[in-house]
Amino acid sequence: MNSSLPRTILSTISPYSLAFKRQKLPISTRVSGPVSFPSISSIPSSQKPRIPLFLRPPIFTTSLSDLQKWQQWANNLALSVGSKFVDSDNGPDTNILCREVKWLLEDAVEDKSILCQLVSPENGKLVKLRADLDELYCLWKQRIEERRPFQYIVGCEHWRDLVLSVQEGVLIPRPETELIVDLVSGLVLEEEGLREGIWADLGTGSGAIAIGLARILGDGGRVIATDLSPIAVSIAAFNVKRYDLQDKVEIRQGSWFEPLEDVKGELAGVVSNPPYIPSSQIVGLQAEVGRYEPRLALDGGENGMDDLLHLCEAAALMLKPGGFFAFETNGEKQSKFLLDFMTQKLATNVHNLEAISDFCGIKRFVTGFRR
Amino acid sequence: MIMAQSISKWMRNPMVAVGTCSGFFVSLTARPRTLGLQIQVQTQIKAFSLKGGSSSSGGRDFLALSDEELSRQCEMDTFKASGPGGQHRNKRESAVRIKHLPTGIIAQAVEDRSQHMNRASALARLRTQLALKVRNAVDLNGYQPPLELLQILPAKSTMRGSDCGSQIGPNNPKFVLGMQALLDLMFAVNGSVSDAAKFLGLSTGALSRLILSDDSLRMAVNELRTSKGMRPLV
Repeated sequence: MNSSLPRTILSTISPYSLAFKRQKLPISTRVSGPVSFPSISSIPSSQKPRIPLFLRPPIFTTSLSDLQKWQQWANNLALSVGSKFVDSDNGPDTNILCREVKWLLEDAVEDKSILCQLVSPENGKLVKLRADLDELYCLWKQRIEERRPFQYIVGCEHWRDLVLSVQEGVLIPRPETELIVDLVSGLVLEEEGLREGIWADLGTGSGAIAIGLARILGDGGRVIATDLSPIAVSIAAFNVKRYDLQDKVEIRQGSWFEPLEDVKGELAGVVSNPPYIPSSQIVGLQAEVGRYEPRLALDGGENGMDDLLHLCEAAALMLKPGGFFAFETNGEKQSKFLLDFMTQKLATNVHNLEAISDFCGIKRFVTGFRR
Repeated sequence: MIMAQSISKWMRNPMVAVGTCSGFFVSLTARPRTLGLQIQVQTQIKAFSLKGGSSSSGGRDFLALSDEELSRQCEMDTFKASGPGGQHRNKRESAVRIKHLPTGIIAQAVEDRSQHMNRASALARLRTQLALKVRNAVDLNGYQPPLELLQILPAKSTMRGSDCGSQIGPNNPKFVLGMQALLDLMFAVNGSVSDAAKFLGLSTGALSRLILSDDSLRMAVNELRTSKGMRPLV
C-alpha cells in the first residue's frame, strides 16, 4: 500500500499517519505478499506454544548405534549441501549445518554426556530421547530439503544467557539485538531513575529484549512488551513464565505504543527491533528468513523505515524527561536518515542522538534521550 | 550515558585496523576448562614491552580489570561479517573473536550457541592467555608470594597463612591470577622448580604436581624450561 505512493508524497506525509495506517491493515494482507510460501511455513492455526525439543520429556528410547546411524546420515546430508546455499542466497554452508546436527542431538538426548560415545557405540546400549528417532529424520530433512530454520526445528534459540522458545510466526532473535540489552545495562547501572522505571519493548516477538531487560533492571523496574501478533504474545508469555518474570514483564497485544496510553510520558525507556527490511528486498532474502519468518516482523515498507519513523516520533512523546530509547535499524543508511530526521524534526524533544555499531561494524542502532 | 558512549567507542574500528605485532607466530589449540566448548586461541606475540602505562606491573593490571574494562581494551568482531546482517540473516554465526589491543593477544570462542556466551568464553580465555603470556618482573630479594599465588598452593605450604582459605583449583576463575604470579616467579628463577619451591615453602614434588595439574600452566612452564635447556616436567 505504501509502496504505491510516489516517493515525493511519501516524504511529505507525516510518518506517524503513514505508520498508523499501515498498522491498521489486517494481518492477512501483510502476510500474503509477493513471496510464495511453501506449505510447511503456513502459520500454525493453534496459538498455543509448542514445547521446544529440549524441554520435552525423554520418553523415547533408541539404541546408541541407531542414533549413530542417524548422525552419519544427517552429516552426509549436510555434506551434500556444500556451498550450494551460500551461492544461492548466502545461506548456511556444510560447516554450519554439521554444527547444527550436533546441537540438534544435544537438544534431543536426555543426557548430553552420552554423545561422546557416538564415535564407537557400545553394542546394545540404549539412549533416551525427547523425540522419536523417526521425527529426528523428518526434522533434519526439513532443515536441508526445505530450508526450515534450525531454530524452528528445535523450537528454541540461544540468545545472550537465555534459551528462548520460538516457532513459526515469531521472529528468531538475532545476535545483533543482544547489544540493545548491553546498551541499557550500562545506563541503568548509573541512573536509578532508569533502573527503577517502566520500560517498553515494542514488537517483542519471542520476548527476548523484554526478558533481557527485566533481568538487569532494579527491583522497582518493570517492562511492558507489546506485539500485534497473537502468536508472538503467547510465545513471549511462555518465555516470560519460564524465566519466572511474570511480575516484572507485562505483555500487551497491540500495535507499537497503542496499548500504552496509560503510561504516556512516563516511560523510562523504549526499545525495539521493528521490521526494517525494505519491501523490495524481501524476495531475495535467505530462504530460512524469507520463506519462514513472519513478514510482519521483517517488512518495513518501501524504504524499510515506516515503523522506525513512527517509533522515533512517538518515543519523543511517550518517554519521560531523561528517558532513553534504542532502536535497531537496517544499517548505516537508515541510522543516518533517522538521526537527520530527529535532528531536524524532533530536536526540541530529543537529544544526545547517536548511531551505534554492531559487532560487524555496521551502524545498527539509533539511540537518544528525551529532553 | 557515559556507558553508552564508551560501548560505542569500543565497538568502533571493527575489523583489524591496528598494526600487527612483530615477533613470531604461535598457533595453538587449547582445550578449555568448560566442557563441550572448544576454543581456539591464536597468539601473535613473543615479547612486548608495555608502553605508556604509568604503572609497571602491566600484566597484573590487565587481570585486575573487570570484564567490561577488559572488553574496552579489545576490539571484537564476528566472523564472515558479510552482507547486511540483522534481520536479513539466519546463519547462527555466533562466533566471537576478540583482540586485546595492548598485547595483540587474540582469543576466540566459536562453539557456544549464543554470541553473548561466546563473548564471555572468549574473555575468560583471554584472561588465561594474559596470565600465560604477560610477565611481571619479580624481585627475588625478600620475595613474598602475593596472596593470589598463596591461594592456589596446597595447604602444606609453609608460606601459607590461615587467612588464605582453602586451595583454589584450576576450575576457579581466580586460579588465573595465581597462575600468573607463579609463572612470574618461575621466570625469575629461570625455570627451576626446586628454586621456586623454596620461595613457596613447598617440596619440589609438591610444586611439580601443582604445575602438572593444569594443562596450560604445564605447557607454559615446559616451554620456558625447554628454552633454558632443561627437561620438561611430565
